[in-house]
Amino acid sequence: MVTVPTSAGTPTARGSGRTTDRRAAAAPHAQQPLEPGRRTSGGAAAAARRETIAGYGFLAPWLVGFFGLTVGPMAVSLYLAFTRYDIFTPPEWVGFGNFVRMFTDDPVFLRSAKVTLEYVLIGTPVKLAAALAIALLLNSITRGSGFFRSAFYTPSLIGASVSVAIVWRAMFAGDGPVDSSLQVLGIELGGWVGDVDLAIPMMIILVVWQFGAPMVIFLAGLKQVPTELYEAAQVDGAGPVHRFWKVTVPMLSPVIFFNLLLETIHAFQVFGSAFIISNGSGAPGGQLNFITIYMYKRGFADMQMGYAAAIAWIVLVVVAIIAAIMFRTARSWVYYAGDNR
Amino acid sequence: MKRFKIAMAAVASAALLLAGCGGEPEGPSSDFDPNAPVTLDLAFWGNDTRAGFYKNAIAKFNEKYPNITVNSTFLPFPEFWEKRQIEAAGRDLPDVMQFDYAYLRQYSQNKLLLDLKPYLGKYIKTDGFAESTLGIGVVNGVTTALPIGTNAWAMFTNTALISKSGAGAYTGGTSWDEYATWMGSVTKAGGGSVWGGTDPTGRIQNFEISLRANGKNLFDDAGAPQFTKADLADFWGKGAQVRGTGATIPTKRLLEVAPKSGFGAGLTTSELTWDNFGAGYAGDLGAAASGLALTAPPVTKAGAKDLYLKPSMLHAIAANSEHPEASALLVDFLVNSQEAGAVFGTNRGLPASSTHLAGVKLDPLSQKILDYETSIKERLGQAPPVPVVGYGSIEEKFRQLGEELGLGTVTVEQAVDQFFSEMDTILKK
Repeated sequence: MVTVPTSAGTPTARGSGRTTDRRAAAAPHAQQPLEPGRRTSGGAAAAARRETIAGYGFLAPWLVGFFGLTVGPMAVSLYLAFTRYDIFTPPEWVGFGNFVRMFTDDPVFLRSAKVTLEYVLIGTPVKLAAALAIALLLNSITRGSGFFRSAFYTPSLIGASVSVAIVWRAMFAGDGPVDSSLQVLGIELGGWVGDVDLAIPMMIILVVWQFGAPMVIFLAGLKQVPTELYEAAQVDGAGPVHRFWKVTVPMLSPVIFFNLLLETIHAFQVFGSAFIISNGSGAPGGQLNFITIYMYKRGFADMQMGYAAAIAWIVLVVVAIIAAIMFRTARSWVYYAGDNR
Repeated sequence: MKRFKIAMAAVASAALLLAGCGGEPEGPSSDFDPNAPVTLDLAFWGNDTRAGFYKNAIAKFNEKYPNITVNSTFLPFPEFWEKRQIEAAGRDLPDVMQFDYAYLRQYSQNKLLLDLKPYLGKYIKTDGFAESTLGIGVVNGVTTALPIGTNAWAMFTNTALISKSGAGAYTGGTSWDEYATWMGSVTKAGGGSVWGGTDPTGRIQNFEISLRANGKNLFDDAGAPQFTKADLADFWGKGAQVRGTGATIPTKRLLEVAPKSGFGAGLTTSELTWDNFGAGYAGDLGAAASGLALTAPPVTKAGAKDLYLKPSMLHAIAANSEHPEASALLVDFLVNSQEAGAVFGTNRGLPASSTHLAGVKLDPLSQKILDYETSIKERLGQAPPVPVVGYGSIEEKFRQLGEELGLGTVTVEQAVDQFFSEMDTILKK
């Protein structure tokens, strides 16, 4: 008598358990008909293959470009970097000769590297500081901010153009507008274009003038900073300077990092304006002979394509190292909201 | 089967294309129709003045051959060659090119230029040329270019500017020291807005004539330099002395007016250069052109034959040209015709072809050049060997180092080391 309900209860319990299991297991199967293209197992494989082919089909134009115009030429240039190649005759293997020459027997290369680093290391921070300062100003005004945003953004669209380079050259020539204006203030500098000490500052002014692009990005970043953080800081007695360093900078740090990385790499690529301002020669005294110009001259004026390729690879490695250092240090100063570190 | 046919067609057309790339034109084709419409590309270096001349000359050419359309492009000298080098790499040179002696060896040896022999006499008349002049465009026994004209190293002075400054005129053919003293006197009279001249040690040609005065050339027949580090250091050292006295225009000013020279910009009253630069200067200076004079460069050693006649420029046809016959007709017109002579004058040097020269109306400037080349007969020696491959880069390096010496960014010793290291790299080729 006692066992009957027990024995009757046990299968029931087991059964209900099984039912639950079966339902759970059945659930994916129940959804199966809803998935398109997977009606039968053979059809599913064919469909998947078709999808893959279509995917590669759509990728094809990019893949052709990537392998034909980027990876291929890069591989060839890596090979050429170890050769002496004048285009007319087949490349001749010289091992590390080009790299040795660069660092031991070519003072022009070393100076070119030096002026490029000077330009990047001074120009980029100054440009970003200007961009951030103007972004902060624009963020604080409500009337006319759209107008000013466009006005400040324009130079970054035209700044790299040939016409602006020509204008720059004219403006900074002896007795040009800049020289004359400074003379009125009692500063006698003469022309900047042919001056060994003033040529790089002139280029830095040109690049800083194009602060509009990072400024727009900063402005977008500033709009994302929650106002309650400022209110809370204010309640705690933080002044404007304190609020800038303790709220704005940390909240904006991902944007600062992004701009810094982008602008640094961009600065290494300076070519057109320096080429035009120095009349293609990198003068005065090699001060505008930036690494890109030097590389171009070596390749296309002197026909030392192997040597030019070697310079290109050194530039790539240096830029990669600088980028790596930035990513490394970013861990300690870039703050991502929502990051639980 | 259909697929196979398509594949065969693809292979065949690829083979045809490759054959087209590798094939060497065997000379003029017999079925050339001089009236068939063709388009030719013509490239030259120069300034707006010369571009205007070419435009007029092409218009005259089209009166004879209305079916041949000529698209011309021009660039300053260094950029002209950068562009040509890139095109040469892709075997895509313009049909007809104004050509420079310094690049002739390199381009000829690499079979980038059309062998003109089958065209000479047939499409290009040679009666007007002296045998020796025709030989200028021959490299390793193959004629790849025809000389347009010859020129000689000379001194231009801006007499209008000199008299305005109140200084005395330069007579020419003095010693280098006397020339420097004269430059100083003009600079002093010019009061800071006009200078006597440009430091002559920035140009390799001035170094060359000082070597030639001692019986040497820059390079011997085998392409080896005929000067030592000490020679060059001595030469640049003299330049430092001249610059030290403040007689010459500061390099800084020159950089600001580039690509014009100090002389072309009306800032200096004398400049050593090739004697066909007159028309270019006249264009740069505008109204002040009437006051240009040509005199002999300073003398390094009395009685030495330091000067020579150089082919100022040549015309060549690209080996990759699809219309070699039409190109040959254009070259014939540009180097031989009286019409072209009338248009160009002495802008491209004193014409090498007598028929071309016959067309030249000797305007005052051309007359001056003719008179000048006559006046220096006593100083004209044998021309140096055809320039070494890479001479253009060597010349440019010399110029750049001269500029840096002027700016004071290198010492004479450093400059000499850099020059030799660069020259060694180029000559090793």
